[in-house]
Amino acid sequence: MEKVGRIISISELNVKVFLYKSDVKTKDILVYKDDTMLHKFEVVELDNNIASCIPFESVKGLKKGFELEALTEGLQIQYSEEILGKVFNSFGELIDGNTIEKEVKRNVYDRNISIEELDISGKILWTGIKVIDFFAPIQKGYKMGLLGGAGVGKTVLIKELINNIYRKQNSNAVFIGVGERSREGKELYDEMKKDDLLDKISMVFGQMGESPSSRSKAVYSGLTLAEYLRDEKEQDVLLFIDNIYRYVQAMSEVSTELRRVPIENGYPTTLLSDISGVQERINSTSRGSITSFQAIYIPADDINDEAVQTILTHLDGQIVLDRKIAEKGLHPAINVFKSSSKSIDPEIIGKRHYDLVTEALKYFSRYNELEQIIAVLGIDELSDNDKNIFYRTRKLRNYFSQPMFVAKDYTGLEGKMVDVDNLLNDVSDILNGAYDDVDEEKFLYRGSLNEE
Amino acid sequence: MGTYIDNLLNDKIKKIKEEDNVFDTGVVVKIKDYIIEVSGLENVSFFEKVTILGKGIGYVNSIGENVVSVAIVRENEPIKVGDEVSASGEQFKAIFSEDALGRIIDLFGEDKLTSKYFKNFKYIDIERPNVPLMDRTAVNRPMLTGIAGIDLIYPIGKGQRQLIIGDKKTGKTQIALDAIVNQRSIALQNKEEMICVYIAVGKTKKEIKTIYNELLKRGALSYTLLVVATNDDKPPVQSLIPFVGVSIAEEYMLHQKKDVLVIIDDLKKHAEVYREISLISNKAPGREAYPSDIFYFHSRLLEKGCQHKNGGSITILPIVETKGGDITDYISTNIISITDGQIVLSQKQFTKGQKPAIDYTVSVSRLGGAVQSKEMKSLGATIRRKLLSYLETKEVYELANTDEMSNELKEKINLGKKIEETLNQPKFSPMSQDEILLRFKAISEDKNL
Repeated sequence: MEKVGRIISISELNVKVFLYKSDVKTKDILVYKDDTMLHKFEVVELDNNIASCIPFESVKGLKKGFELEALTEGLQIQYSEEILGKVFNSFGELIDGNTIEKEVKRNVYDRNISIEELDISGKILWTGIKVIDFFAPIQKGYKMGLLGGAGVGKTVLIKELINNIYRKQNSNAVFIGVGERSREGKELYDEMKKDDLLDKISMVFGQMGESPSSRSKAVYSGLTLAEYLRDEKEQDVLLFIDNIYRYVQAMSEVSTELRRVPIENGYPTTLLSDISGVQERINSTSRGSITSFQAIYIPADDINDEAVQTILTHLDGQIVLDRKIAEKGLHPAINVFKSSSKSIDPEIIGKRHYDLVTEALKYFSRYNELEQIIAVLGIDELSDNDKNIFYRTRKLRNYFSQPMFVAKDYTGLEGKMVDVDNLLNDVSDILNGAYDDVDEEKFLYRGSLNEE
Repeated sequence: MGTYIDNLLNDKIKKIKEEDNVFDTGVVVKIKDYIIEVSGLENVSFFEKVTILGKGIGYVNSIGENVVSVAIVRENEPIKVGDEVSASGEQFKAIFSEDALGRIIDLFGEDKLTSKYFKNFKYIDIERPNVPLMDRTAVNRPMLTGIAGIDLIYPIGKGQRQLIIGDKKTGKTQIALDAIVNQRSIALQNKEEMICVYIAVGKTKKEIKTIYNELLKRGALSYTLLVVATNDDKPPVQSLIPFVGVSIAEEYMLHQKKDVLVIIDDLKKHAEVYREISLISNKAPGREAYPSDIFYFHSRLLEKGCQHKNGGSITILPIVETKGGDITDYISTNIISITDGQIVLSQKQFTKGQKPAIDYTVSVSRLGGAVQSKEMKSLGATIRRKLLSYLETKEVYELANTDEMSNELKEKINLGKKIEETLNQPKFSPMSQDEILLRFKAISEDKNL
């Protein structure tokens, strides 16, 4: 191959290349081969005949003067029926020891959807998780955000959703691991393999031990696979991303190294366009749909974080996990006030469900006020009506805790799914006082109330 | 005159052609604390070791178009502008020696107790490539600390990364030391020997000596080494030391298939040192003035902890110091989001006399029962549920009249108190699994759970 330039400066995440020719474009891949490996760099900025590139791996051992060759097709990933059941790294390479025979490759940045193609009328996808189905039901083709600070249960919830929806729906799925723990990624793979569930899912991993370029590219590679399933196989695809915040985080690291001026908290200037570029690709057409579940990490428990808020503007619903609730030992630790979805609308979920949600929220908000009163005066001073609200809400709150299939090792309890009709009946019964003489303890970690 | 220059040139060209041990040289042009800029050094590689002649050593930190930036790790004499710098042709590496067990060592392989260097050693990479995702296997073997509140309630497995977090003087280091010392009794029982690596980042010499003596007294040094950078070491050394310690652990895991326990004390200090270096190197500050890659700096370090498919493992217990009990600050939440769980120590519990001062409501183990024996798992799940339920109820009903409580509620509160008391355990008095099972079964059966 022809040499297109040579390295003139090196820092951890930015390698500058003096170009001999002028036909190099941004997003081209430059490569340098030494004895042990192929070093790859992606061109991100061009200034006359100087290209700024981000390296895909460690730059240790690189020297000034090394000459590079170019792969002008840019970053590509395999794109055929054979992707199902396989595991890729961020750069579209298989890492599970498998090979793909009929190799068709495609650039990972290509696809965008027009308004004409877009389909926005999806049916509700019941998850069997009480608190989600009740407060934030998900429609097919939706983008659902699962938000939470560190260690409040995002990954467990994502895994439970994979368990409940992917298994039940039997549809194709793509899992993208971005900047999360390698251990969890491998465990997910092992569990799926053990349960013979790998045949309909492809996985892409750019985990937290890897370079920022790897972490930011995983999303693009994974999206390309999901688009293939949607457009060419005409499937309803489930897309799980754990964790989309890490994509923004990786972009900030790259941006800092390029010495671009950051906006608040060190986020890149291109925050808005980076996120739009990804989110606009996750959509449904009349031929196939992508329903996505995106875990969103909340840095320093600050939900007003610029990156978190920017991601949220793209989503159709959000489930917010709250540390205060997790501290009470209630899981999933969902904050009912902050969690919602666009389907909380009588025309979509029906009047009964809608009214129950309104009523339940009324109880919860009164309960919060009462808690403060009780802290000063004690329970005995409350009016009978308030006492009812206080005790019933505590029961309702406990009822929304639920044993999860994927947390069995942790809780020692077998997972449970709850049908939506039972769910609505139970909530209605609790609020109407049908269980007033049952101890609140009895509502913890169980499925529907009328079973057992 | 012309021939003189010709001769000089020919001489130089001849040497270069023969590669006659002539390394690149350069001259110091700028000094900014421990980051210097050197002109020349045309042929150095990234992270190459360089020597400032007679005065110190450093490594290549970035290569610019005109100058090379070098981070100084050792300075024997003050470096001046104009000093000569020579390349080495090698990467900057750390030293590994089998003889270092039981000793206190630094980045350069010096035995800090005798100020001598090990005779039998080899150079190892300070940071090795990641263990690939597909080479990792499930974490499912217990790593027992001898502390009931951990082994029973929030267990740690071999290959797990479990954060120990809390304010100053709440017993963070003590938990780590307890875990190290407990490995001795486990090794005596079932011959499963674990290597322990205690990494000190920016600690005082006095603190390190104290820890050494504690371990010495309890016979834990035969399987433990201390890898240290004290607070008067150069910041680049302090920032590299956890990577060195973990690389030593990898030597044991990858080549000898051993189980290794690594303590990193502490990562908050480590983050601060890294922030300092980044700001001095003119990187843009992000949240709380930390550089944007602070998460990656810690994630790639802690991702080295794993259960390898070859049978060996690295368990990492990083320590983070908080202020005012706030575990939601930037660095703490970053690390919590990397580790597989956290043991939170609270000042409030500590002053109430609860030892270890674990706050059970906010502590977590993401692996939970997967790393416990069957008996510990079922007992642990029950005890944990009852304890948490008690702690939550206690808060709400603190002002309620006990006489008017239902019997169920009263029982719950009594049981909770009993569990809390039994979890109290003085330092260096490990409980075996059998003892834990015996004591807590007694409580649970007593009350017919």
